[in-house]
Amino acid sequence: MIFHSPAYLLFLAGVFVLSACAGRRRWAVLLLASAYFYVSLGSPHLTVALALVTGMSYFAGIGLTRCATETGRKRLFVLGVVANLLVLVFLKYLPFLSNALNALLGFVSPAVSVPEPGILASIGVSYYVFQAVSYLVDIYLEVQEPERHPGYFALYLAFFPKLLQGPIERAEALLPQLRIPYTFDYDNVRAGLLMFSIGLFKKVVVADRLAFVVDAVYGDVHAHAGIPTALATLFYAFQLYCDFSGYTDMALGSARVFNIRLTPNFNGPYLATSVADFWRRWHITFSRFILDYIFRPLQMRYRDHREYGTALALLLTFLVSGLWHGAGWGFILWGLLHGTYLAASVFYRPYRKRIYDRLGWEDGAGRRIWQGTATFCLVCFAWIFFRANTVSDAFYAVTHLWDIRGAAPFFVTMGTKLAIGTLLIALILAVDVLHGRMDLVSRLWAMPRWRRWAIYYALLLSVIYRGADVAVDRFLYFQF
Amino acid sequence: MISERLKQVILKTLELDDFDFREETIAGDVPGWDSLSHVKVLMAAEAEYGVRFKTVEVLRLRNVGDLQSLVDRKVG
Repeated sequence: MIFHSPAYLLFLAGVFVLSACAGRRRWAVLLLASAYFYVSLGSPHLTVALALVTGMSYFAGIGLTRCATETGRKRLFVLGVVANLLVLVFLKYLPFLSNALNALLGFVSPAVSVPEPGILASIGVSYYVFQAVSYLVDIYLEVQEPERHPGYFALYLAFFPKLLQGPIERAEALLPQLRIPYTFDYDNVRAGLLMFSIGLFKKVVVADRLAFVVDAVYGDVHAHAGIPTALATLFYAFQLYCDFSGYTDMALGSARVFNIRLTPNFNGPYLATSVADFWRRWHITFSRFILDYIFRPLQMRYRDHREYGTALALLLTFLVSGLWHGAGWGFILWGLLHGTYLAASVFYRPYRKRIYDRLGWEDGAGRRIWQGTATFCLVCFAWIFFRANTVSDAFYAVTHLWDIRGAAPFFVTMGTKLAIGTLLIALILAVDVLHGRMDLVSRLWAMPRWRRWAIYYALLLSVIYRGADVAVDRFLYFQF
Repeated sequence: MISERLKQVILKTLELDDFDFREETIAGDVPGWDSLSHVKVLMAAEAEYGVRFKTVEVLRLRNVGDLQSLVDRKVG
């Protein structure tokens, strides 16, 4: 079941009641609920994959503390990480492998073929495999003790609010919370339901509406050029942000109801003043993972090459980032673009302050707007490769961005959707700007009751009245 | 206790005039100490103390206190 469905709300309420009554066995109720949640997706192999990753990581984690020699310890660590990554590689590349196998079988016997799994064949796997890898790395580095209770460990990986799209939780952040005895906390329930509602709004009201324009252009890139493509890319930037951050809000809200605080994954990413700053604000748990477990080791290994070593480490890290998102050249090019942006900044950064000083441009609102705009343009340019159906579509879009012919019919057919989308984007940006300056939730709680409930009803009605056409009935980041 | 010697290494690398370093100080607390300048701080410490850090040793560092302890162990 998906978050924005009535079935999920009933499920959440039921699990809340049962877990509240379960006392010390709360972990078992949450674990069974998480298993049911995953099984409900209708892909049995996913449950097997989760069980396999859980078992391998649990025993590897304990084994790391019992190894007699450092060599044995290192071998077990490598084995555990590689085994987990193999599960991810096998499931993520399953469609590609079945297509390749069918192509081969077509030469041998056209009547024979293997089933072709759909795009959701690996849903959730990318996230909990990375989480398991981070667990093993932290134990190997001796900054984390292994969890010896199999139930708590299984729940750490499978906890249903974060199972399908993260956040990728560190053991030190989540495991202790799972052990805390439950007591009803009205503030947490209230905050959780509010976060969930905001996430729902972002997903069904904003993201799904922006998708109309995005899909119209990217569904037939060659029929559009210039301004329509640029607008569709801008809309896609916010569609993806609202879709993913909307899911994250719903995940955090669901967990909060159980007094569990998951790690926020977004912090106003389009307010970033550099690409490095963007990655501190976008998919935060994933960027921390690649920073701590890929970039830092590579940077240390190549440190004798100074800036060139750091630049190479960044390129390789973001190549991995692209591959994590999918087995496609579009994702790889997207990752390499970000790697190139960051690698270039290694060389450019020492001169940046001098350039601004020479231009007499002090650190103020004007400079931040310029930096923010430039960063947003760079990020959007990379999104073209991320969103386009094929690499050739992406290159067509990129090479025709300055083509203004044929823009008028687009505005005629999409005028209303563009206008509504623009207003929604402005709303999202305004909330992000305000959220960076004040605690909006505390302000909400401090409002008079009538104003608070007016906002609640506005959220609810906007979610209910989202229109008959639903462009995207699932979350975009399910596919990664 | 963070030594004055290590403190000066960090300040010079990050081009800061002064900062109150404590055992529990993390990189995020210090202006300019980010993932790109992190390796510069470590290399400056290596050069200052004439030591070589292993990657695993560096990945275990959680705060400036850990860095001080690592330097002390390496110097012996």
